[in-house]
Amino acid sequence: MISEFISYPFIQRALLASVMVGILCPFVGNFVVLRRMSFYSDAISHSAFAGIAAGALLGIDLSLSSIIVAVFIAVVIAFLSEKTGLSHDTVIGIAFSGAIAAGMLVMGMLKGYRTDMFTFLFGDILAITERDILMIFFVGMLTIIILLTFLKPFLQITFNRDLARVEGISVRFFEYLLFLIIAVVVTVSLKIIGMILVTSLLIVPAASAKNLASSMKRLFVYSCIFGVVSGVLGLAMSIYLDTSSGPTIVLVSIGIFFLTMIKRE
Amino acid sequence: MIALQVDNLCVKADNRHLIENITFSVEEGRIIAIIGPNGAGKTTLIKAVLGLIPYETGTVSLFGQPFKNNHSDIKVGYVPQRLEFDRTIPLTVSELLGFTLPPLYSVPFLKKKGAREHIDGLLNIVGAQALARRSIGSLSGGELQRVMIAKAIVNDPKVLFLDEPASGVDIEGQERFHDLVKRLNREKGLTVILISHDLNVVYRYADNVLCMNRKLICKGRPEETLTDEVIKSMYGEMMGAYTHSCHEHD
Ligand SMILES: Nc1ncnc2c1ncn2[C@@H]1O[C@H](COP(=O)(O)OP(=O)(O)OP(=O)(O)O)[C@@H](O)[C@H]1O
Ligand SMILES: [Mg+2]
Repeated sequence: MISEFISYPFIQRALLASVMVGILCPFVGNFVVLRRMSFYSDAISHSAFAGIAAGALLGIDLSLSSIIVAVFIAVVIAFLSEKTGLSHDTVIGIAFSGAIAAGMLVMGMLKGYRTDMFTFLFGDILAITERDILMIFFVGMLTIIILLTFLKPFLQITFNRDLARVEGISVRFFEYLLFLIIAVVVTVSLKIIGMILVTSLLIVPAASAKNLASSMKRLFVYSCIFGVVSGVLGLAMSIYLDTSSGPTIVLVSIGIFFLTMIKRE
Repeated sequence: MIALQVDNLCVKADNRHLIENITFSVEEGRIIAIIGPNGAGKTTLIKAVLGLIPYETGTVSLFGQPFKNNHSDIKVGYVPQRLEFDRTIPLTVSELLGFTLPPLYSVPFLKKKGAREHIDGLLNIVGAQALARRSIGSLSGGELQRVMIAKAIVNDPKVLFLDEPASGVDIEGQERFHDLVKRLNREKGLTVILISHDLNVVYRYADNVLCMNRKLICKGRPEETLTDEVIKSMYGEMMGAYTHSCHEHD
């Protein structure tokens, strides 16, 4: 039965996508967890909604419009928190509700029912096209290369910003870069896991790995393993049980999280 | 050569001067101690010099170059008085030291020739060789301080800023640390700016001392500068007899 399923191209694409997102999201998610940015990640994914609505209205590619809007919101958040001195979560809350409100307004202007918009809301891994796969692949490779190259400064800033600054690291630059990377990764994963759940794929495997890991190296290795296992197992279960793929993947990852809690005790 | 030149430094917070018109310079290869009572602005001074907090007026230069946010090639090391970090971070001591090791833009976790030995050697020097694989959040205060000292010297800095580095370190560790600083100073010509409350340490290790209480009170060689009057004016009557007892020991 398995071999029969695997022979379907859309299943192959779904498998490939779940492996790639299963590595990419937790890899970036480690920073989201260590730096307590899960609200930011959530805000970005929901802001992408405005981008999707705008894309539908203007008739441009929805992946493209969602990335543009997400990056824009990321810059707005970074800019506002620097200029206003308000706490991060307040600024994120403001930008986030602005984006959602704008998205809802735009959606009201649309005529008719757009199924492709719902793909972004809830995710549909089985509807992934070859183009989506290529997009995730290139964005993923680029992100991982950037993160690996700058891993030392990123981790030094995560440990202590003052010490990083004394080392000559431009804290401001790398924090902006991290904001951008999270925004891009969240947005390219939307189609697979949906905007409501995408943050969980970033943080849940990373949190599970943090339960077990005693070193940074292990944190990165474990989180990616948990991400891939959640993605592949969740996909298989969703096909077998005929459930939606996004929620199934997330529930599997949360199952793993509880297992790591037991181990931790 | 002048390693560090600070002119007219003023730091303000909430319309109150935390430090006022501080001017001093440190010759290359010297150890200068900064002393003053709690709340005198010593930590503020070092942070402003390092560009970690903004200053109202004044200039700071390091080896003749303006020093802001340390984008120069001149490496400095810093041990803060109180290190704030997330204790749950999964990070081992040797990983932390490895992240500080140049080149900055290279993938960590890869085994590099010599890096391991270098880190182990440093941990050995500060008496923390047994801590290499420990998670940074699990260390005691004194253990952490030893590791931070190792981190501060991991990439051969030219100038070392130490904000009460030996606080919380046991007597053996303090001794070891001060000797280490002196040795690096003598062998490598390291310039050291050291905040300390321990006048014995100041007498034994510092070439110069800078007394401050928001403003600069006096500066010079410890034996000449730390007179009864100065100590009294800084710390009150209680400490008046200190210098005498110290001279008796020496
Ligand atoms: N961000 C800030 N805003 C307002 N006041 C501050 C700030 N940081 C420090 N202060 C004040 O500045 C003064 C000097 O503090 P600082 O930490 O520099 O003293 P210190 O000489 O290092 O003292 P200690 O010996 O206790 O370490 C204190 O009165 C402190 O309350
Ligand atoms: Mg202090």
